[in-house]
Amino acid sequence: MRSTPATQIAVVIRKELRDWSRDRRSIITVLVSSLLAPGLIFFLFNSMANRQRSVEDVSIPVVGAAYAPAFVDWLRQQPGVTVTDGPKDPEDAVRTRREDAIVVIPENFAKNFAASKPAMIRLVADSSSQNSRPKVQRVRAVLQRYNAEIGSLRLIARGISPVVATAVQVEDVEVSSSQQRAAQILGFIPLFVMISAFTGAMAISTDSTAGERERGSFEALLVNPAPRIAIAAGKWLAGSLTGMLTVLITGALLFAMFKQLPLQDLGIRFRLGTPELLRTLSVVLPLCPLIVAIQLYVATFAKSFKEAQSYLSFLMMAQIVPGMMATMNTMSTKAWMYYVPWIGQQTLLTDVLGNKPISPVVFVIVGVINVTLSVAVLRAASGLLHREKIIFGR
Amino acid sequence: MIRIDNLHKRFGDVRAVDGVSFSADDGQVTGLLGPNGAGKTTTLRMLYTLMRPDEGQILVDGIDAVADPQGARFALGVLPDQSGLYPRLTAREHIEYFGELQGVTGADLRSRTDHLLTMLDMKEIADRRVAGFSHGERTKTALARAIVHNPKNVLLDEPTNGLDVMSTRAVREIIRRLKDEGHTVLFSSHVMQEVSALCDTMVVIARGKIVGSGSPDDLRRQTGHQNLEDAFVALSGLEPEGSPS
Repeated sequence: MRSTPATQIAVVIRKELRDWSRDRRSIITVLVSSLLAPGLIFFLFNSMANRQRSVEDVSIPVVGAAYAPAFVDWLRQQPGVTVTDGPKDPEDAVRTRREDAIVVIPENFAKNFAASKPAMIRLVADSSSQNSRPKVQRVRAVLQRYNAEIGSLRLIARGISPVVATAVQVEDVEVSSSQQRAAQILGFIPLFVMISAFTGAMAISTDSTAGERERGSFEALLVNPAPRIAIAAGKWLAGSLTGMLTVLITGALLFAMFKQLPLQDLGIRFRLGTPELLRTLSVVLPLCPLIVAIQLYVATFAKSFKEAQSYLSFLMMAQIVPGMMATMNTMSTKAWMYYVPWIGQQTLLTDVLGNKPISPVVFVIVGVINVTLSVAVLRAASGLLHREKIIFGR
Repeated sequence: MIRIDNLHKRFGDVRAVDGVSFSADDGQVTGLLGPNGAGKTTTLRMLYTLMRPDEGQILVDGIDAVADPQGARFALGVLPDQSGLYPRLTAREHIEYFGELQGVTGADLRSRTDHLLTMLDMKEIADRRVAGFSHGERTKTALARAIVHNPKNVLLDEPTNGLDVMSTRAVREIIRRLKDEGHTVLFSSHVMQEVSALCDTMVVIARGKIVGSGSPDDLRRQTGHQNLEDAFVALSGLEPEGSPS
C-alpha cells in the first residue's frame, strides 16, 4: 500500500520529535530558555522588595543621646525604629559609607528646647549616595513627625488649635521609582515569552535542515516518495510543537512565580491569574508556527548546523527589536500595530498584562494572519527542497 | 526495468552527461562502470529523480520519471551517493522510518525489517544508535533502509566503496539475492573487479558518454582485449597517448 502525504507528515513529525528528545543539548536549551524570563523577573522583584523592606526597618545611630533623653525615648517608640549609639566621628562614618544617616544632638539642645526656641538636631548624610537616599528620607520623616507633634502640643498649651498652623495639607501620590521599575520589568514579559518560543524551536529547525545537509542524509530522505511539502510540513509541525512546549513551560513557571512574589509589598497591582495566563498563551502560541516556518526557510540555506545557528541568532535579534522599541519608549498604540506579526503580539500581550479589554475579533484576525503567513513561508521553504543546489550542495 | 534514452545534463560549460542511453532489465544486474568524474553519479541522480535532465527520457517500469517523479520513486529503492544517517536513531529506527514513508506498516514492516537485519548480519547492532557505527555498519544500515519496501528497481551508487572484505561480501550477497528475486539492480562503480564479478551487463561511461556496453564477453570482443581491465582502460580512453596497447 502506498503511503499518503498525511501519514508521511505524521511519520516525519514522530521521527523529528524522537530525534530531538534524545538530544541532550536541545532539552537543556528548552529548560534554560523557559527559566530565563521567570528567573530574571523573580530575582529583580525580590531584590526590590528586600530593599523596600530594609527601608521600613531603620536603625538610627544617635550621637549625644544624653542631651535629649525624652526625644530619644520617643524615637525608640516609633514603629520599625531602633536607636543605636552613634560613632565618635559621625561625618567620617558617613563619608566612608559605614553609616547612611546619623542623628547628632548638640549640647545646647535641652536649653533651647526648654525655652521653646528651635532646638537644632544635625542629620549627617551623604546626598551623593544613591543607596542611602531612601533611608535618609525615612529618618528625616521621623524627625519631622517629632517636630510636628511637639509643635502641636505647644499650640494646644497656648489655647490655639494646631489646625491653624496647617495652612496647606500635602497629600502624597505615590509614583515611586520602584513602581516604575516594576512596570518596566513587567513590560519585558512579552519579549521573554517570545524569545522562549524562538529558542525552543531552534533545535529542530536547524537540525532537520542544515543538519541533514551536513550529515548528507538529505538525498536519501528526498528519494522517498513523499512530496517535498509533506516532508517540510512534518519538520515544521515538529518544530512548532517544541516551540509551543517551551512557551507552555515558560507560562507555567511565570504563573508559579507570580504566586510567590511579594508584589503587594511593592504596592503593585498586578495579577497573573489563570485568565491572564490563558490569554497570554493564546497570543503567543499561534505565533510559534510562523516563527518555525521562517527558521526552516532561513536554516535551509545554511550548509552546516553552525552556520544555521548563526543565521538564526541574527533572526532572533531582529525579532527582539520591535519589542524593545515598544518596551522602551512606550509608543502610543495604533490600530495597525495589532496586525503586524511580532509588533502585534507585543501590543496584545501588553494589553493582556495591563488588563485592558481586547475584542475577540482582534484575536481571530491576528490568528488568521499568522496561519496564512506561515503557510506561505512553509511553501517557500519546501520550494527550496526542489533546488539541486540545496539538495546536493555541501 | 529501467530505460534511459539520450540523457543530457550540463553544469555551466561542463557537459556532465552527454547523450547517455541504456537499459537495465528485470532479474539482471547492470553495472555502470567509469572512472571518477565520468558522469555515473549525475546519471543516477537523474534516474532517482533528484536531478532534472536538460534533455532525454527516463522510464522506470514504464513510468516517465521526469514527468512523474513521485510515481517513479514508489518503484525505486536507492542507496544514494550521500547516505548520511541520523546519529541519535538506531539502525532499526532508520529502516522503519523509511519503510513508513514508503507505506510499509505494522506487522509487514516488522517482519521486513527483521528479515533485512538477519540477511545483512546486523541483529546484534539493530537497536544501537548509529553514532558509533563503523563505515561498513553504516553502509549496511543505509542499504537496508533503501530496500525496506521491497522495490522492483534498486539503484546503488558505489555501494562497496571503502568497505572491508566482510561488508563487501554482505553487499554482494544482497545484490545476488535481489537478482534472483527478479529485481532490476543497477549499481555504479569505478572498480573493474567489482563490476565483472556481479554483472550480467556492463555499461562503461567516460566523459559523460557511453563508450561501451554488453556482457563482459561482449566487451572483450569489442575491444580485442582478453583482460577486462585492459578493455576498460581502452574504452574509457584513459590510456596515455603513445603507450603500447
